Amino acid sequence: MSTRRAVLLVGSARPRGTGNSEALGGYVLARLAEGGMDTEVFHVARCQRPERERFLFEAVDGADLFVLSAPLYVDSLPYLVTRCCERMAAHRAAMQEGSAVRFLAVVNCGFPELEHTRTALDICRVFARQAGLAWTGGLGLGGGEAIGGRPLEEVGGMTRHVRRGLDLAAAALLAGRPIPEEAQALLARPMIPSRLYTFIGDIGWLKAARRQGTLRRLRDRPLR
Amino acid sequence: MPPASTDLRLNLPPEPLRPRRAMENHAQITVDPETVRPATRPATRTLVLNGALPGDETLAPVEEALLALLRDVGSEVRRYSMRDVPLAYCQGCFECWTHSPGLCKTDGDAGREIAAAMIRSDLMVLLTPITFGGYSSEIKKAMDRSICLVLPFFRRVNGEVHHRRRYRRYPALAAVGILREPDEEQERIFRTLVERNALNMDSPVHSVCVLAAGTPPPALRERLEADLKPVLDPVAGRLA
Repeated sequence: MSTRRAVLLVGSARPRGTGNSEALGGYVLARLAEGGMDTEVFHVARCQRPERERFLFEAVDGADLFVLSAPLYVDSLPYLVTRCCERMAAHRAAMQEGSAVRFLAVVNCGFPELEHTRTALDICRVFARQAGLAWTGGLGLGGGEAIGGRPLEEVGGMTRHVRRGLDLAAAALLAGRPIPEEAQALLARPMIPSRLYTFIGDIGWLKAARRQGTLRRLRDRPLR
Repeated sequence: MPPASTDLRLNLPPEPLRPRRAMENHAQITVDPETVRPATRPATRTLVLNGALPGDETLAPVEEALLALLRDVGSEVRRYSMRDVPLAYCQGCFECWTHSPGLCKTDGDAGREIAAAMIRSDLMVLLTPITFGGYSSEIKKAMDRSICLVLPFFRRVNGEVHHRRRYRRYPALAAVGILREPDEEQERIFRTLVERNALNMDSPVHSVCVLAAGTPPPALRERLEADLKPVLDPVAGRLA
């Protein structure tokens, strides 16, 4: 029996090694690799040129599992991911014979509530249907900025529930089962209490502005 | 080939960014010959973003009917055909919040111009093929670049966290989605997405129109009028 393959598409435009989507998707991929799967990572920002895009599509076509880990931009998937999904769905619709690829979507957002991610996960489910991928489930995560782009293990105890949820998801995928509800329930538990998260977030913006010398201009209305 | 951006008042080229005082003067001297109104009354502006993907012409008759309807209610319309507009994607760097507050760091494309057109409009209409229940990538490119219009700081709305407003007022939001074939799931997702966008953008009112591709023009007009009534009434009301 040949080794099973998993492909991760990181849907963030941030530089490699700095995004929360990469941290989350990378964690799932590492668990899949431990379970004996061959793994490959693509970054959506690097898949815009036709030849790179073709590599991605061919990798997905030949995979057993496709994992998309993306941030939430304005209530849905970012432009780069939407474009990639449009083109991948068209590519797979044009295939003579569809390949049996399973699909997991992980969407994280900067707001503390995971409810913000539901529309994007719904969009992922329809994409799966139109691209001929088998939907295994979607995982939403709120308060993603708390990860700070670091590997989840490095973030420490704050991500304990997130890691347990992703462990459950990876185990289900390795066993060929859909994502269990418990995995989403674990990701729904806040890493930081909501009010503390927004307080830290607001302070963080002020600090960043002070560093950049824009504290007094932070509320500017240049386009009015 | 039609221009990527059109000002339907006087067929002007896209408005460049300029200081506020200059913009006010500009607004006073550009009078729509088809909608004469007292000089003291502020004009209402509608921004239409057409998100048709390359090669897709199914949106053309819908856009034509939409623009005619907007002209009939007396709104000044600026339109962008997003597939023809040079626009870089949002890099998620948040520099529009901290480094150059209110402005995307990417200059030299249409990003700042479209964001300015958004915030200066009374109504923003997104015309799009419904893509997996959401907007097309062409619309998403513009929407992603619009985060400079809000502040990074948080506020709570109905128990949910959202961003605080940067500007005093935001446009009403309408979305016209085209489905190639009936799909209840996609229609439901699309309606939810527009509602969520309106909440995040602090739009005073929003509406959604979902049409089947190939709907004949008389029916198009009827559906657009009926479904966009919530956003057209204020536009028309301000001109009455």
